[in-house]
Amino acid sequence: MARYLRMGILIFLSILLLLPVVGCWSRKELNQLSIVLALGIDQAGEEYEVSVQFIDPSSMTRNRSSNRSPSSVFSERGTTIFEALRKITTKASRRMYVAHIRFIVFDEQTARKGIRESLDFLFRDHEVRPDFYMAVAKNCKAKDIIGFVSKSEVLPGMDMFKSLKTSEKVWSPTSAMNVKELMIKFSEDGVDPVLTGLSLIGNIERGKTADNAKNPISYGEFKYEGIGVFKEDRLVGWLDENDSRAFSYITNRISSSVGPVKCPGSDKWISIELTDSKVKVIPKIKDHKPVIRLNVKVESNISEVQCNLDISDPKEFKKLEESTKESLERILKNGINTVKNYGADIYGFGEAFHRRYPKQWHAWKDHWDEQFKDNLTCELEIEYQLNRTGKTINPFTEKIKEGR
Amino acid sequence: MTANMHTSGFTSELQLNIGSIRTLLGGSADLVVREMIVARERRAALLYLDGMTDVQSIQEFVISPLMERIESEELSLNLLAGQVIQAGEFHYATSLEEGVDQILSGCVLVMLDGEGAGLLLSMAKWDDRGVDESKTQPVVRGPQHAFTEKIRTNTTLVRRRVKDMRLRLTNFRVGKLTKTDVSIMYLEGIADPQLVQQLSGSINNIQKNELLEGEFLEEILLENKQFSIFPRFYNSDRPDTIAAGIMEGRVAIFIDGTPFVLLAPTLFVDFIDAAEDYYQPFVYSSAIRILRYLALFISLFVPSIYVALTTFHQDMIPTQLLLSIAGQREGVPFPAFVEAMLMEVTFEILREAGIRMPRTIGQAVSIVGTLVIGQAAVEAGIVSAAMVIVVAVTAISSFTIPAYNMSVPIRLSRFVFICIAASFGIYGVSILIFLLVIHLCNLQSFGTPYFSPLAPYRKRMMKDALLRFPYRDSNNS
Repeated sequence: MARYLRMGILIFLSILLLLPVVGCWSRKELNQLSIVLALGIDQAGEEYEVSVQFIDPSSMTRNRSSNRSPSSVFSERGTTIFEALRKITTKASRRMYVAHIRFIVFDEQTARKGIRESLDFLFRDHEVRPDFYMAVAKNCKAKDIIGFVSKSEVLPGMDMFKSLKTSEKVWSPTSAMNVKELMIKFSEDGVDPVLTGLSLIGNIERGKTADNAKNPISYGEFKYEGIGVFKEDRLVGWLDENDSRAFSYITNRISSSVGPVKCPGSDKWISIELTDSKVKVIPKIKDHKPVIRLNVKVESNISEVQCNLDISDPKEFKKLEESTKESLERILKNGINTVKNYGADIYGFGEAFHRRYPKQWHAWKDHWDEQFKDNLTCELEIEYQLNRTGKTINPFTEKIKEGR
Repeated sequence: MTANMHTSGFTSELQLNIGSIRTLLGGSADLVVREMIVARERRAALLYLDGMTDVQSIQEFVISPLMERIESEELSLNLLAGQVIQAGEFHYATSLEEGVDQILSGCVLVMLDGEGAGLLLSMAKWDDRGVDESKTQPVVRGPQHAFTEKIRTNTTLVRRRVKDMRLRLTNFRVGKLTKTDVSIMYLEGIADPQLVQQLSGSINNIQKNELLEGEFLEEILLENKQFSIFPRFYNSDRPDTIAAGIMEGRVAIFIDGTPFVLLAPTLFVDFIDAAEDYYQPFVYSSAIRILRYLALFISLFVPSIYVALTTFHQDMIPTQLLLSIAGQREGVPFPAFVEAMLMEVTFEILREAGIRMPRTIGQAVSIVGTLVIGQAAVEAGIVSAAMVIVVAVTAISSFTIPAYNMSVPIRLSRFVFICIAASFGIYGVSILIFLLVIHLCNLQSFGTPYFSPLAPYRKRMMKDALLRFPYRDSNNS
């Protein structure tokens, strides 16, 4: 018993000694950290200008003061991102904690120069979690976006993050790309990445003041707009709304969306709510040239009817279905053509060939971009199904007109 | 002839015997000596302790028959025992010491002038608490009986539940001063005979002065076993729990003077079972057991995980939650560890005060307590609201463990966990969990692995471990 006791005391003492020696190695209290939510990377000559948006934690409590901005921005220049980030500590009392970055914005100049080198730090650093989203600032600096005051959330970084996520779910032209997907696209052959564009509209300077959130109509707003097409890691061009939609269709990124379609025999519109869309990419080789066959299967509902169309009539309904199908076909064709002109295979057709025809792929691999641009042809087969008409069948405006 | 204190046999002189006993007891005020003359000329005496004997029975069944005319000329103790006295249990005392011992246990000593012996009649009776409701392990549905301080009442409560002729009861006396009655009860043929032998031997060998409660016996019996903060005797004041244990082949140890009966061997899972589990539908009981295990984990780990996450692994907390916690931590002057210790210790003090203080001032403590580890502490900016929630959840969870003697080691190890979490983070916490599980698996309760049926895995026993399976599936042999 005494022997055990002695041993127990010895072990206890040695653990006790261990605590101050190796314990608390990487301890960091929450009060010593500034939680960075968003990061902006601008090109400034040969250097990068890094802007961090961090949160004033007291703004998250109930008794927050309305005089202080919930988020603050520091910027610093450096030849590397990490250097610039560390330099920021000369301005701030707390360490910048980057594990919770939700959102990274590149300016267009950086994006055109290549984002790989600036992303390297974020891939490499153990603290960063690879679940943030990225965007390219269109027509403004990344720093402007980072310092922007948004309306729907107290924290601008959170606002942009959530808005991107929500918009991607219900609006097909938006395409949210998180860093993990980007890493995969970088490392795969035969597929090029895209990043969504983010622009500020309205009065940018006033949009960066607290006033922006005070009035019901704000001075400036941010907006996700278009998809930036990347070749390798360099931005080469932008897709407009319909081309962006085509991208979302072909890469099966749509969970729900809304699109307008012209009424058959009228210049008014019908809007169609997409409920399900599946695109199968089938690569083929014809005359030693790549051919892509797209099997598109779409289901949707009618959600808004502006014209006097008798939907209850099966013939009319069939016509409407035809016209929506044609409209989709047009969108997809245009989308593919635009991207072909950029020579960046963002649809991952090359990857499809790689899987199906590995030998042929090796011959094409080194100049796939040219193959994609010049030789690739596309076949479309669309199976379109309009399902429901909503709570009313025919638009009630018809009745009103009849009554008159 | 003088009474020799060492050999101290009875003399044939009545007065001398009475004198000797008086001297042995130091002239205690509660010793009653009733002298009388029986059968015209023989002097006799009754000696007993006032308050420990049934005076009315003595009057009715001993004194009255003695005072009536006894016809026989050949008056002897044998004759008295055989024909006159109407008491149930008796035996002869051959030495004065034995006589005095028995008087102290509530016997009546009858002496006859000229006889070198005494007659001892068991007529013990003292004021006792009746069979009450269990206060430590109450149930909503199920038997409400609880043990009392009287050993015979307690053994009877169990015997009434197990009416089997194989039920064995063995008596011991422990403690040179207290001479406490200790009984072990088991089912012959079901309980491990080696265990019974070992326990009887150990209890017989105890050379201590006192035995007032079961814990004393527990510590003595575990003296040469592994050290552990975990209890290896189950204790309960519920006769149904003890009866169930005996029927499972365990040995119950009754100790006179305490309503808590010990059960050995015990498993870890026993402490998480409540008597209620067997009196409710099995689905409900199983769900509640899962809940209790969850509470066990919460009360053991949650404060340490909170400390570890907020001081080492902020990246593991969801962003919104982290921002919210960071907001609450703003302006708190202490590190999370100090904060946690502060609150935990305060809570322990409150809990202790709640048990120790007189019932009448209970309300004052609870009001002050709510204020101290609640609103006021947060508003003063000394602790964060999140920490108050963590401590409150932990505290409430620790109360769901049905056995009080298991909740104590859980509470103690919680503090160790917090210290380790504050210095090594989740890494340290997981190592400590490993050590704890290794210790539990290594532990034995009288030859039974403490952590079975989990490790080693016993499929048959699993039917009543983490879940309670329906009775129709249990095998009745």
